Amino acid sequence: MTSNDEELDDFEQRTRALLQESVSRIDGRLRSRLNQARHAALAELERPRRTSFWRSFGLAPAAGVVAALALAVVLWAPRPGQMSPVAEGGSSAVEDLDLVADGETFDLIQQGDGGFYEWAVAQADAGPEATS
Amino acid sequence: MSAFATLASVYNTPVAMHGDVDITDSNTTTDSRALNQFLASVELKAFKIAQSALRHEHDALDAVQDAMLQLTRAYADRPAEEWRPLFYRILENRIRDMQRRRTVRARIMAWLPAHRDEDDEDGFDPISQAPSEEVTPTRRLELDEAMTALEEALHDLPNRQRQAFLLRNLEGMDVAQVAAAMGCSEGSVKTHHFRALKALRARLGEFSP
Repeated sequence: MTSNDEELDDFEQRTRALLQESVSRIDGRLRSRLNQARHAALAELERPRRTSFWRSFGLAPAAGVVAALALAVVLWAPRPGQMSPVAEGGSSAVEDLDLVADGETFDLIQQGDGGFYEWAVAQADAGPEATS
Repeated sequence: MSAFATLASVYNTPVAMHGDVDITDSNTTTDSRALNQFLASVELKAFKIAQSALRHEHDALDAVQDAMLQLTRAYADRPAEEWRPLFYRILENRIRDMQRRRTVRARIMAWLPAHRDEDDEDGFDPISQAPSEEVTPTRRLELDEAMTALEEALHDLPNRQRQAFLLRNLEGMDVAQVAAAMGCSEGSVKTHHFRALKALRARLGEFSP
């Protein structure tokens, strides 16, 4: 060991003593906070860890995929005896979803503008001469 | 516990009502006691390490508490000899997260010159808060000055150097344990530690605590 190493060792010993002293001087308030933190952490261990039945068999991802597929089938599959929404109205189910999800449109319908739509339907039924 | 024993215990787990599986076992109390002893043995040093990096009492407490919680939640069933390196690795990650968040927040605050950071009002209160009654006022002052100088010097070290130095010199871990805690080779630990010592020595000189 060189003299330089010995100096480093001496320095290291002094810094180590100082660090230990600084730990011993941590006040009671902080010690109490740390104690509380420790007990809060240990309370997690005492709490019974309850795992979902599905998760216990590793079926949660599979159940999610099945649910997504079922939703897709419901949205896109045509009902018996009824044309596909896409073929009938030229709009897709996704657009229908957008319509439902659009809060502004929903509010407009709720505000009682039904009269305008009834008038528009009557005009369309009467034919082109009624509008001229 | 062998892999076979682990599997056997899973398949023999009783199924409780309401579709949940109760995995509480009789070893919980023993684990809790051992974990309590371990956490009690590291909490003060861990706080000093976090405070040295963050220089903020509340943040340091939060970091230690988070590390305790994460160790308990995720690694309580690991062998007790693994807890120390795991705990300090979690703590260091938490400290790094806080430092990053602080950097981002400082950048954002730079755009808001009128804003005053309320956290800064707490200020950094060094260890001199509660001096020991056994030392004389003069000696206490010398210790306070030496500690403050050492803490400032430690804070200015690069993260990895400070971590290596404190885990070796404050926590008393050997090189292999520090390497496990830092997730690097033993050679890297030695290099970081040597550089830390060199930087501290150059800065503090022959201080005498």
